[in-house]
Amino acid sequence: MPGDAGPVPLKIVVAGGFGVGKTTLVRALSEIPPLLTEEAMTAASVGVDDVTALPGKRTTTVAMDFGRITIDDALILYLFGTPGQERFWFMWDELARGCVGAVVLVDLHRIEECFPAVDYCENRRLPFVVALNLFPGTSTFPVEIVRDALALAPEVPILRMDARSGDSCLSTVITLVEHALQRTSVPH
Amino acid sequence: MRPGGPAGPPATDRHDDRVVPVYAMTGGRTRSAGPDLPVESLVVATDRWPGDLQKEHRMIIELASRPVSLVEVGARLRVPVGVARVLVSDLADAGFLMVHTPPPVGQDGGPAAAMLQRLLDGLRAR
Repeated sequence: MPGDAGPVPLKIVVAGGFGVGKTTLVRALSEIPPLLTEEAMTAASVGVDDVTALPGKRTTTVAMDFGRITIDDALILYLFGTPGQERFWFMWDELARGCVGAVVLVDLHRIEECFPAVDYCENRRLPFVVALNLFPGTSTFPVEIVRDALALAPEVPILRMDARSGDSCLSTVITLVEHALQRTSVPH
Repeated sequence: MRPGGPAGPPATDRHDDRVVPVYAMTGGRTRSAGPDLPVESLVVATDRWPGDLQKEHRMIIELASRPVSLVEVGARLRVPVGVARVLVSDLADAGFLMVHTPPPVGQDGGPAAAMLQRLLDGLRAR
């Protein structure tokens, strides 16, 4: 709200396929112990199969992990790992609303698993970076092949990183914020 | 099945140490009366003395001695974010908490350039 001099929260979404390192990245950067939160979801949000599998159950919950970086006295950055499965996408909308942007983590052995996250960011015009989490045997893979494979626009940053390294994760987040800032000054 | 059943995790028992069923805490409400607060909204305790508030309310006020987000309140109390939102809204309405919502977004739906610059400067200084 205008004139509100209180502390300000910002958030970044960490997306990608199951097991690609989202939780690792969040934990590498977070100053608070790993915390899980739950979001209730209504039957309408769940696939039909799930409703029939749970007769009489109106809601279920989904766990997501998050981390926190205190930037200064009055600015706090939250990192949210998105739930992997598509049926939890209703939560992405809440997480993506007003966010700085998204880090889309990619395991080059399973590159197709990041397609939904890339599609989501492109459709919502969210600033995003593609972060190639260096699993063994992938470190020499040329970045431009990834750009072609994902049909990424030339301005979308692609970087190699290691989600286990705090420095590497910090550089990744900095690249995202730089990209988001750049986009505020150019028409898109 | 416990009374608060629908809010319970489907497959795990990791919240079995909950103090009370979550919907008992909120009087059965699952949505707060006010506009839905974003999960990253920050709450800060005011000077108002909590007195004899229920345990969960006192826990929130204690957590909020420094800025803490709605999602952290939920995680620390081991309740879904929706429940934390109701509890926090009640405490804010009663004057125990100040709620700070995320900054206004620009035309592209994201934070304004000045805010991003401040974030960038802070991250680079780490």
